[in-house]
Amino acid sequence: MNFLSPWFLLGAAAVAGPIVFHLIRRAARERVTFSSLMFLRPTPPRAVRRSKLEHIVLLLLRCICLLLLAAGFARPFFARDLLPPAQAQERRIILLVDASASMRREGLWQAAAAKAQDYLDKAAASDQIAVMAFDLQPRVLVSFADWNAWPESQRAGLARQRLATASPGWMGTHLGAALTGAAEQFRENSITRREIVLITDLQEGAKMDGLQGYSWPAGTLVKVERVEAKPQSDAGLEILEPAAVAAGMEDAIHVRVANAGDSRKEKFRLGWDGAKDSMEVYLTPGQTRTFTAPKPPAGLKSGALKLAGGDLSYGGVSYYAAPEIQRVAICCEGLGLPIDPSGMLYYLQRVFPGTPRRQIAFTPRLDPSANFAVIASNLPPDEIASWHTWLENGKTALLVLTGADSGPTLAGLLGWPDAQVTEAGGDFGLLGSIDFQHPIFAPFDDPRFSDFSQIHFWKRRRWEIPASAQARVLARFDDGSPALAQAPVKKGNLLVLASGWSPADSQLAVSSKFPPLMETMLDWSGAGAPARFQFRTGDAIPSPVLTGEPVHWQRPDGRRSTLAAGAAFTETDAPGVYKADFLGQQRLFAVNVPLEESRTAPISPDELARLGVPLKWDSEQAAASARIQQRRLQDTELENRQKLWRWLIAAALAITFVDIVLGGWLARRPAAADAKT
Amino acid sequence: MPETLPTREAGFVDPKALMAIRSLELRARVVVEGFWSGLHRSPYHGFSVEFTEYRPYSQGEDTRYLDWRLYARSDRFYIKKFEDETNLRCHLVVDLSRSMGYKSLAYSKADYARTFAATLAWFLHGQGDAVGLFSFDERVRDYLPARHRHGHLRQLMLALESEPAGRATHLAEPLRRVAELSRKRGLIVLISDLLAPVDELEQHLARLTAAGHEMVVFQVLDPNELAFQFQNAMLFHDIESERDVYIDPDAARVSYQRRLREHGEGVQAICRKLGFAFNQITTDRPMDLALLDFLRGRARRGKLVRRRSQRAST
Repeated sequence: MNFLSPWFLLGAAAVAGPIVFHLIRRAARERVTFSSLMFLRPTPPRAVRRSKLEHIVLLLLRCICLLLLAAGFARPFFARDLLPPAQAQERRIILLVDASASMRREGLWQAAAAKAQDYLDKAAASDQIAVMAFDLQPRVLVSFADWNAWPESQRAGLARQRLATASPGWMGTHLGAALTGAAEQFRENSITRREIVLITDLQEGAKMDGLQGYSWPAGTLVKVERVEAKPQSDAGLEILEPAAVAAGMEDAIHVRVANAGDSRKEKFRLGWDGAKDSMEVYLTPGQTRTFTAPKPPAGLKSGALKLAGGDLSYGGVSYYAAPEIQRVAICCEGLGLPIDPSGMLYYLQRVFPGTPRRQIAFTPRLDPSANFAVIASNLPPDEIASWHTWLENGKTALLVLTGADSGPTLAGLLGWPDAQVTEAGGDFGLLGSIDFQHPIFAPFDDPRFSDFSQIHFWKRRRWEIPASAQARVLARFDDGSPALAQAPVKKGNLLVLASGWSPADSQLAVSSKFPPLMETMLDWSGAGAPARFQFRTGDAIPSPVLTGEPVHWQRPDGRRSTLAAGAAFTETDAPGVYKADFLGQQRLFAVNVPLEESRTAPISPDELARLGVPLKWDSEQAAASARIQQRRLQDTELENRQKLWRWLIAAALAITFVDIVLGGWLARRPAAADAKT
Repeated sequence: MPETLPTREAGFVDPKALMAIRSLELRARVVVEGFWSGLHRSPYHGFSVEFTEYRPYSQGEDTRYLDWRLYARSDRFYIKKFEDETNLRCHLVVDLSRSMGYKSLAYSKADYARTFAATLAWFLHGQGDAVGLFSFDERVRDYLPARHRHGHLRQLMLALESEPAGRATHLAEPLRRVAELSRKRGLIVLISDLLAPVDELEQHLARLTAAGHEMVVFQVLDPNELAFQFQNAMLFHDIESERDVYIDPDAARVSYQRRLREHGEGVQAICRKLGFAFNQITTDRPMDLALLDFLRGRARRGKLVRRRSQRAST
């Protein structure tokens, strides 16, 4: 028999009470009234001799009652082991090793590898271990399948070899993605003892999103093994992408500087690599501030801005690629006068205003160097041929059908033998279906922006696309006829719009959709430039052109690769200046280590617990206490089921009743005896 | 209970039978029967309005009572004699505190004290003395000034009928009030169990003496208060302080009796010093004897006074 609250058994000592009271001979029930006690002194109670113990039965009853009460309060139960015996269970362990840029600090990676090695060496035969490394994304080094496939004696060694191939890169840290990615590895297996060993520096700059609200696979525990770097003063900087710049400030370069929370320095110097000038920046540990960088050397196309003054193990430099002023030439054929609101050029010029980063030139005739053209008139046959050739060289033009006589121009530009264009009858047309999958309409693929049904087309032209043609209809009118179509002309493209945007033709020009639509057309043509020149490691750099020739990329270490036009460059795994060559042009992109990686102050694992990560308790002692807690819960459960205390209390009550009856009878007996005598 | 007159055996009334009479007045009358011959004297010389006789003046008599008018008419000295309306002013000071409610017999000390007081009153009234009453516990509860009037005795009996109520026996305050209220010299009869500290008793009694009062003290005790005959150890409940004390009588008896005796002796010593008569009576003592004690005390007092006056005159 066990007791849930054994300390109540101390109450059994109360049996001394009745024994003492029975020993003390004091007829306290007799009471007499006396005139004055001024001449009397209280008599101390006297104990009778053992042989004079009175009412043995009553005494026994009272003692038993007290013992039962004490036992009842101690909550007895018969022990039975409900818990499964603590034995070595099959476990699945994922060693999740941080390989982000912050792990490049001195000694960290070696410490992390040693910890992982330790786990591999200690693994039981029944354990299954996978090894993953993570920075922005987790990647599997050793999968459970690999582990199981390997011979048992070689598993640790082979896993170590795989681990040795990994090393920290230049990427940021996405702890949330890593943990959830690792947890997903458990999903397909039924083994419920699942453990993720997170080996990381747990820096404060790590991204944690995705953890909160994540439903962890049952039985998953995360054990955090933190590797600690020697204290140093880390700071980092990041050149900001020029946003909407104020007039006169076009050349100003803004830089964001972050000082680590555990840094011991507050003053740094900021200056261009190779330049003598530098400025002092001051920021307290843990602070992030934005400064205007010193003026770059004149004509600088690309360079590096450096931060000096701390133990800047990997940060402290931000590469810079000067944004190019983009010169875009748009040929306008038959669009009317720029000052005529009834024409189309009037509106087109307002859609493409010049900006400090982009200069737009409208040319009234065919310009071979132009990137984009808008044709809104019937071209003579000789001009049609030269336009066709221009298109074939990878250019894009928008042809606006102005009337039934636009057929020859349409056919000539597309290289079709014939094309029939007729004026559509009826009142007006509305856009019916739109292909939001096409890059031109893709930006509108959101319920907030996808409503084109307000635009009335008063005049529109109907034309047929031959079945053999490779044209793609991007938008149709409500009667099913094409409103906007894209047809390839060798390397180039022709966009055909079945109505114009002059007020006589439609409401398109006065619609809010018109400027973004024209902008996406220009971008899609390749004439528009990517707005960004500053990237972070791991970011994909959009292709400078969407159509035409392939783009040749060159990494900072000199390696080259060629990607098709429109394909983003994703191998931005090291900081530096990347070059893209296309169509005889070269464009520079700067890639930097994320600023967050400079925020190296460690955070507490409690932060993870706060986000709902099921942390495993660290020490064996904690596990033992968990076991004890479980045992206590089991005892409580057993006691709750058996409820022996009820019987004990009931017995105590019954004995109390018997005691009262017997006591009363004993008390009356002498009186009765006296009465008889 | 039938109010039959108790029989006189051996010349005394059995107190148990006496107390069976409900009427206090009747009890007093039964006791007083046959005690009409006064043995006491008034501290006042006759001084009243009711003229009785002239007698010739003899040398040495007080000249205050010479009738000067008659002398003017007849050139003879005559002393004018009056019948004293009041021979004696007597105040009965009766303790009716709760401790007086104790009884081991069929009646309590208070019953006995009341009866005794009523007996004295009846007796004195019958002699033509003025009788007043103070009843007290921790303070004076009833006060009737000493008078000899028709109906006064009945009023006094009614006042005596009230039950003991006070919490404690405090002699100091009531004695002070008695001294204040009874300005004229007279006899004061204190009937109490005197179960109170004697510390200040002397001082207050001395004050009464100084005011010219004569005093007789009766300490009324229950026989069991003297004998302390209890069998078993038990809780003793103080009737006044409501305190409970566990006492084994066998163990406590000797010391109790010693202390009680010492207390009684203390009071007696004070009385002797101040020239008072002190009588300790138990409630089983026939009332006649108690009255006789009183009268004997008065007789002794009378002789003493006479001797003093004779010494003074010689």
